[in-house]
Amino acid sequence: MSYCVHCGVELDDAARRCPLCHTPVLDPNRLQNGETPPSFPQRREEVLPVSKKEAGLLLTAMLLSAAVCCVVLNLFLGRGRAWSLYFAGAAGMLWIWFALPLFLRRMVPALRLTADLAAVGVYVYLISLDLGGAAWFWGLVLPLLGAAEAAVLVLSLLLGRPHSLLTRFVMVLCAVAFFTMAAEWSIDRYVRGTWSPAWSLVVCAICVSLCIPLVIVRWVPSLREEARRRFHI
Amino acid sequence: MAKEPQAKKWYRLDNAGILYSALQTEQYSAIYRFTAVMARPVEPQALRRAIQRTMPRFPGFSVCIRRGLFWYYLEPNRRSGPFLKEDVRCPCRPVRFQEDNGWLVRFYYYENRLSLEVFHALSDGAGTMVFFKTLLAVYLQELGVEMPWGDGILNVEEPPRPEELEDAYLRYAGERALPLRFPPRAYPNTGTPEPFYTLHVVVGTMAVEQVKARARAYGATVTEYLTAVLLQVIAQRQDRENPLHKRPVSLVVPVNLRSFFPSETLRNFIITVSPGIDPSLGEYTFPEIVAQVRSYLKLWADPHKLRALITRNVGFTTNRFLQRVPVVLKNPILALNYRLGGTRPYSGTISNPGQVRLPPQMAPHIDHVEVILGQATVPRSHCCVVSCNGTMAVSFAGTLKETDTPRDFFRFLVKEGIRVKVTANDPGY
Ligand SMILES: [Zn+2]
Repeated sequence: MSYCVHCGVELDDAARRCPLCHTPVLDPNRLQNGETPPSFPQRREEVLPVSKKEAGLLLTAMLLSAAVCCVVLNLFLGRGRAWSLYFAGAAGMLWIWFALPLFLRRMVPALRLTADLAAVGVYVYLISLDLGGAAWFWGLVLPLLGAAEAAVLVLSLLLGRPHSLLTRFVMVLCAVAFFTMAAEWSIDRYVRGTWSPAWSLVVCAICVSLCIPLVIVRWVPSLREEARRRFHI
Repeated sequence: MAKEPQAKKWYRLDNAGILYSALQTEQYSAIYRFTAVMARPVEPQALRRAIQRTMPRFPGFSVCIRRGLFWYYLEPNRRSGPFLKEDVRCPCRPVRFQEDNGWLVRFYYYENRLSLEVFHALSDGAGTMVFFKTLLAVYLQELGVEMPWGDGILNVEEPPRPEELEDAYLRYAGERALPLRFPPRAYPNTGTPEPFYTLHVVVGTMAVEQVKARARAYGATVTEYLTAVLLQVIAQRQDRENPLHKRPVSLVVPVNLRSFFPSETLRNFIITVSPGIDPSLGEYTFPEIVAQVRSYLKLWADPHKLRALITRNVGFTTNRFLQRVPVVLKNPILALNYRLGGTRPYSGTISNPGQVRLPPQMAPHIDHVEVILGQATVPRSHCCVVSCNGTMAVSFAGTLKETDTPRDFFRFLVKEGIRVKVTANDPGY
């Protein structure tokens, strides 16, 4: 029988510290006593995460019914145009964004990103069909989406590994620079047919000028130590 | 199995049950646990037989919960189970309606500890007490101990009676309801939450006689005394933090309505009242807190007021508008209502399921009983007091790392001259 010297409460024979104030129990006789089983079980229960299937089904049903309602309404109202496809397409896009992850819990992030952007692409493609402008879809939207996908994908792969904060920052800056270049390239090509980089070069210059001191700090040990000291959390 | 003459196919939840099932999330557990610490290690085979014999007598516990369009409802669970399991470190895991074959009761054993966990939508402490005592009696019978029926132990060979499944709230709801109001925000008494599925349990055991003697010295009952102690230690914690504005300190105290309105129901029939103090008015001495708690609880021991409170709580199940809101939308409404009216205005909970009276044949086989409440919606300790065989067990359970509240509570009792023994489920053993 032992007592906590701070709380004055009697403790369990098996207790090594007081559960109230965490003061260790120092009992010279304990070594001879042998182990008593703890008074509470110590087995940890393995608890699986909740299945989200039900929520997924509910969302599916809601989106599906909204889409079907719009299509049916389209048969009576404004029959000249297939306006309901806007709503149906939006519902489909929302389904891929929010309902699909509920069904496929172990979705690889890259796959999810691709699926999300592909959903946007298909939706915009449908809109471009309705507006009679397939050209701007192929010329402008698709390259932009592709660039965004590439930038975010490479970035997420790189950031997934352990890197120092500085390296991460440099990576993000490089991704921003890449995306602006790609954006201007596709806009120029669509509007003028040639690539004459202008504003994206400004953004790139800023990114590079921010990167250079970061890279120097990252690679010079004494500077790195200084930065670590000054900015520790 | 085939003959269940008066067993209904399905039935409605009572208003407390509706609230508990609406609140049920992975961050909140309306599960509580009764543990009997036996004189000898539990024999799982005998306990399994005892569970099988006892469950049919308690149809209110042999149910699963289903979701209708507007309300949840209960129906008899025909699937296999409930199964006896080896005990786990973190008790009162939040219930998931789909898992565990839909069972809302769980049975565990570990060394000398025999535990029963019940979802609060099925029954309150008093109803579960009858179930638990009957289970213990049947278990002891299985071990070959002569055990009579009666004394709060139901004969498992008799069929269940319909009045045990009554929704007593509906029977006693009156005409006039108390107006709904949200009390001011109280001192929250929270702490740093632990990661998922961790529940810290600290149990202090002491002699009932010593506590009674101290309570009598202040002219109070045991419940009033312990409530006052808890209020005092929480108020002192707020003082230590030295806030700009002191908030009121107030507790949720469930009241068993069976002592005011006769009913034999084994389902929920409790209501909560909230004694408290307002430290912004000045510092309260301990005798002042006792007096405050005592007069507050006296004020609420009024059947007319309690009936008006019941009427108010039943009101939302009979509200024309709420009735027609689908359950998926109703649950967030109820959860918000609970947040404003059930969590924010309080600093803690102290529950007292009362004294477990054991028949003389049973007493030598049971050392004492502990009751543990599941995790609150916020990281805060829930306190529960139960006494049995002359031993009182006070438990604190919560997901928070800090141990301020139980530590100061038990230290206070030790200073009062009460011998306290503390056990906990923490590692560090
Ligand atoms: Zn201690």
